[in-house]
Amino acid sequence: MPEPILAVNGLNVSYGSFQAVKDVSFGVYGGEIFGLLGPNGAGKTSTLSAVEGLLHPVSGTVTVAGFDTREKPLHARANMGVQLQATSFQPELTIAEIIRLFASIYGVDLEDDAVKRKLAEISLEEAAGKKISQLSGGQQQRVSLVISTIHDPQLVLLDEPTTGLDPQSRRQLWERMEHFRNNGHAVLLTTHSMEEAEAVCDRIAIIDHGRIIAIDTPEALIEKHRHDPEVLKVVRKGKVTLEDVFIGLTGTAVRP
Amino acid sequence: MMETRIPKNSAVMAALLRADFTTLWRNRRSFRLVLIVPLIILISWKGLIDKLGGVFVLSSCITIGLTSIGLMGYSNSIARDRDRGVFQRLRVGPVSAWTIMISRLSVQIAMIVLMTVLVFVVGYFVDHIQISPIGYVAGLLMSMLGGAVYLGLGQAIVGRIKNPDTVNSTTRLVYFVFIMIGMFGEFGVLGEVIEKLVIWSPYGVVRKVLAASLAPATWNLETTWALLASIGYTAVFVILGVKWFKWESK
Repeated sequence: MPEPILAVNGLNVSYGSFQAVKDVSFGVYGGEIFGLLGPNGAGKTSTLSAVEGLLHPVSGTVTVAGFDTREKPLHARANMGVQLQATSFQPELTIAEIIRLFASIYGVDLEDDAVKRKLAEISLEEAAGKKISQLSGGQQQRVSLVISTIHDPQLVLLDEPTTGLDPQSRRQLWERMEHFRNNGHAVLLTTHSMEEAEAVCDRIAIIDHGRIIAIDTPEALIEKHRHDPEVLKVVRKGKVTLEDVFIGLTGTAVRP
Repeated sequence: MMETRIPKNSAVMAALLRADFTTLWRNRRSFRLVLIVPLIILISWKGLIDKLGGVFVLSSCITIGLTSIGLMGYSNSIARDRDRGVFQRLRVGPVSAWTIMISRLSVQIAMIVLMTVLVFVVGYFVDHIQISPIGYVAGLLMSMLGGAVYLGLGQAIVGRIKNPDTVNSTTRLVYFVFIMIGMFGEFGVLGEVIEKLVIWSPYGVVRKVLAASLAPATWNLETTWALLASIGYTAVFVILGVKWFKWESK
């Protein structure tokens, strides 16, 4: 059994007296797209933030490519590429300047031609001199993904990357994810789209109230829970989907 | 375990500085505001130089410039970028937090130097204020120390307040209070009590230290106390600013 590129063990995250993540453990392997699904406030973002090193867990360990994120944070972060929910770049800089900035931060030498090639890969060669606000949502996400993976990281973290994208842009992003997987990268994806999870994820963890309540392949999860009374109650048009299983496991109540 | 490439601090710092200076340059409105206000006051006070003294005018204009850099420039840029998630995006890379902040502060220090030199140049050519070469050098060094007081204050405000609009309105208010009460209070227009308070306020101590450094022969015990008070203000503001500061605004 190979070592996971991302290993999360016994993770606990608290905000004051509120425990957002409770004893969460999972691993993401090279050549795998792993989906972390959960309703609003379930603990997805807190888990992801702990992996990214943006918050310190109360207990538990996170290792990326063998580096503990608390003991060797820079080494761990050097091995991961992160696409945050918002594009989060300085609006005054051009796309080429942003790409060069992050290339330098990750220790990658990029000449002007290389920047152009990177942009050509995502059909945005004309955007080099534009500001991020001049791009559409889908174009911004493509730029963001190029920047996240500019250093060819072993682990790619994608936080709801397809939110607000049209079907064409979403499909293009799925293809990029699959490209990373096929090249041996580990991809951790959070999403609210069950269709997306079913379409691209090799394995899925469903998190609710801070705990992982199910972890398996989408097909196995559907098979395992297709006869649960809670799932059967929410099935539409007679066919059990991942969304039915998700709602069956996490409940029908709308989360704030 | 595969080989991990950690970029050199110097390379990361150079990249951040290049980006931060470009951002500052393209943010022309705030860039101009920070530089123009002290110059307008300097030029408009030309007729008062005989009455107030060149050193008083120069030190007042530099203090006003430092206030705008720390309050209007630094704190607003930090609040805005924090709210946009720019810091979070940098922090998920192999960059230490201190590198990000040092780059931001370096840009402000460059602004302090630029503003001070501009005040000296305009003061010399337009207002015909001449001081000794040592005065210029000491004044430049002390403007950086004075700048630390206001950068510290800006840090404390952006540490305490998360919303960028509230940071903006708060810093404008504090800026206005500092300038109006500082200038008029020092002239004694607002009464004796206010005058005494202003002298030992962040505005008063910075202006006093600057004035004495521009004319080193006038440095006395009271100036030394003002210098210690400036260092004390800086320490308090920085400690509170760092303690309160959060990297995200949500």
